[in-house]
Amino acid sequence: MTRVGVVGWGVYIPRYRIRTEEVARLWGDDPQRIADVYLVNEKSVEALDEDAVTIAVEAARIALRRAGVSRERVGAVYVGTESKPYAVKPIASILIDALGLRNDILAVDMEFACKAGGDGLAAIAGLVEAGRVEYGIAVGVDTSQGEPGEHLDYSASSGGAALVVGRDGVAAELEAMYAYASDTPDFWRRDGSPYPMHGEGFTGEPAYFRHIIEAVRGLVSKYGYKPADFTYAVFHQPNGRFPLRVASALGIPMDRVKPGIVVTHIGNTYNASALIGFARVLEMAKPGDRILLVTYGSGAGSDAFVFRVTDVITERQRAPAPAVEHMLRNKVYVDYAQYLKMRKMIKLLE
Amino acid sequence: MRHESVPMYWRNIPQYYRLVAKRCRQCGAVYFPPALRCRCGSAELEDYDELPHEGRLVEYTVLYQVGTDFLKQKPLIVGLVELNGGVRAVGQIVDAQPDRLAPGTRVELVFRRVAVDGRHGLIMYGYKFRPVQP
Amino acid sequence: MTGVYVVGAALRPAGRHYGENIDDMAAEVLGKALADAGVDIEALFVASSTTELVNRQQILGAYILESLGIDKIPAFRVECGDGSGGAAVTAAYYALASGEYGCVAVVGVDKPNDVLSNQQVDVYAAVMDTYFERYFGFTPLSHAALMAKMYLKRHGYKYEDLAAWAVLMHERGAENPYAYFRRRVKLEDVLSSEYTSEPLRLYDVAPLVDGAAAAVLCRDRRDGPRIMSVAVATNAVPFNMRSEYDTLYSLREAAARAYKAAGISPRDVAAAEVHDSLSIFGVLAVEGLGLAERGGALAALKRGGLRVNMSGGLKARGNALGATGVYQLVEVAWQLVGREFKRADGRYGVVHSMGGVDRTSAVIVVGL
Ligand SMILES: [Zn+2]
Repeated sequence: MTRVGVVGWGVYIPRYRIRTEEVARLWGDDPQRIADVYLVNEKSVEALDEDAVTIAVEAARIALRRAGVSRERVGAVYVGTESKPYAVKPIASILIDALGLRNDILAVDMEFACKAGGDGLAAIAGLVEAGRVEYGIAVGVDTSQGEPGEHLDYSASSGGAALVVGRDGVAAELEAMYAYASDTPDFWRRDGSPYPMHGEGFTGEPAYFRHIIEAVRGLVSKYGYKPADFTYAVFHQPNGRFPLRVASALGIPMDRVKPGIVVTHIGNTYNASALIGFARVLEMAKPGDRILLVTYGSGAGSDAFVFRVTDVITERQRAPAPAVEHMLRNKVYVDYAQYLKMRKMIKLLE
Repeated sequence: MRHESVPMYWRNIPQYYRLVAKRCRQCGAVYFPPALRCRCGSAELEDYDELPHEGRLVEYTVLYQVGTDFLKQKPLIVGLVELNGGVRAVGQIVDAQPDRLAPGTRVELVFRRVAVDGRHGLIMYGYKFRPVQP
Repeated sequence: MTGVYVVGAALRPAGRHYGENIDDMAAEVLGKALADAGVDIEALFVASSTTELVNRQQILGAYILESLGIDKIPAFRVECGDGSGGAAVTAAYYALASGEYGCVAVVGVDKPNDVLSNQQVDVYAAVMDTYFERYFGFTPLSHAALMAKMYLKRHGYKYEDLAAWAVLMHERGAENPYAYFRRRVKLEDVLSSEYTSEPLRLYDVAPLVDGAAAAVLCRDRRDGPRIMSVAVATNAVPFNMRSEYDTLYSLREAAARAYKAAGISPRDVAAAEVHDSLSIFGVLAVEGLGLAERGGALAALKRGGLRVNMSGGLKARGNALGATGVYQLVEVAWQLVGREFKRADGRYGVVHSMGGVDRTSAVIVVGL
């Protein structure tokens, strides 16, 4: 029996995209300046009949198929999101019945801004290590909110990632984990508010950078890693610049960060952001590679994980399940009017 | 429909979420929607959990006159799909451009919102189909 | 030999009757039919598809009789969706044939225009499988469109061939004083109308109308056309599991039984009213009744030899849902005797009343 780790992964990105220039056209911004600032060329948009639940189901279905784990062996489902279609009513229980999992398992919805999806991974790893469950599924999913015309309108997007976590058939062993959190109000959404508020520049230094850097420094010093140990480093991606800057602050070379950056193509999928990057890296990793995965959630906290890729990875990469590249490539562009309709930002009775 | 019955939705969740059919233990015939008795006369039907998620479009139409649940989604593309293995199902075809569909188009099952009971009521989910290639 | 005869009848012009309650509208036409027959009835059969869904009224028969002051007799409601009319006539026929009653009345009524057009779609979709078709947005129209596509393809027709159905129905409706649409249309009007569910266009869809129709039926009273036979069949196969989509299975079964019981063949039919709630259903009904060979109805239509729906069918008279089958019975009976309509060139007529998308069909053979 190997160490606990990722047995399978699945990513679902809705088919629709809106280009940054189309959003800029609406709001009188210079599209080139926006693209340069955020390094976001386009972002994914969920269809009118999609939400965090449907995206979570699709991602988890793909992850289970890739893992080749029979659904009776799954003992826990954790869903991290800040886009719950219901204020009160869990997503995890819908997942159980949509995936046909056993009903006598742990089903949990979690919220920590964009970090909760990764927190599910940490929770399930603990349950597996304790021998309480055989496999668990951690899902990070969002149909991210952003006020039209506001900064977030250029990045807030939709997508989901699911990880099947267990001990048997592990493709990426979890070697180490380190967490860092503090009360740093950089971004929030009040109960009942449709869109989040944020502190613009304040989301940077005291928030994103401080927490990620502290988590990674803590991890490195506690477990004795060097930046050069990481074949790939994947960070939460609110835009294209932040992960590059934080990598540079940590002394991690750009070519190890860029493969995991998806925000340029799909925008910020909040809870799925780092996990989709992680899944993409898993699809190109080789046995022996070491992957640093760092999530970030506003408010604020960061979890740093180190994975060691095993020989099983090639089998998982070849599994008959849609790859991240497939999701990134299969797209249909929409204009701003369609975007507003699909995101239910024009008043719809449905 | 406004104030759709919750139990009516809830009890069909196995079919709506993952195409749970019935299969005859005697002759293997598959029934979707589930039946209680097989055409061969046998009453021994077992759950077939679940039907394949891939198939091909048999025929489709673009529907412009829709009920109140679908007013904001019209036109709806709806069709008859033959799943791998031969069982057919009817369903909405989403993420699709009608002029790129044809009988034989490869489709896959997706999980989507089907109907929403107003602003405060239940969100009801279920299967739909979409072309494998956009 | 026992016989059941249509001894009196009345029709309400189909339309938008915003000014009347459903029970009063039915009572008015029933009263006229009773006066026409000049007999007392011992039972009432009410055909209605949507009285609960639209008007929130049950025990409709009791309220209809209340309006007429007819006391003590039994009143039964028959519901088979838009095929309720044919089913109610069938039930009335059996009640008479059993010997229990000597004279009964059938009244069909529905008021779809009491709700908005999109609510009408909800109401009509109740004839679909509520869990596996209606829930996902399917309606009779969407299924008809799928069947039309498959029919046209299989038998080598173009949509233009099907569009001729609406043209013919409007031509007939123009001559029917009870029809909702009493104007002719050109093929170009049909071809340029909007899609409702492609390939079907606006003119392929019969308008839902408020309507009421009544017939008084008596046993062994030979003062009217005779109901020679009745037959109802259901199709127990869900749409997605059907092996053929270019035929009406329930109709073929009911027609075979009705013709056999009446001792006639399709060649003897001089008047026919078929359920063309969607144009393709009318075409398939013509074939199901044996009035054209399989796949041959549109060719026959082109040749100009189709003698069906002299009323204009559901397309022009209007689709009065549960009342439709009663309209059809009266129309066929009147065509045989030359009342209100041009007299049919023969002794026999046939009614096809269908509920849902080939879920149930009633066939009634009427003769002189
Ligand atoms: Zn069997």
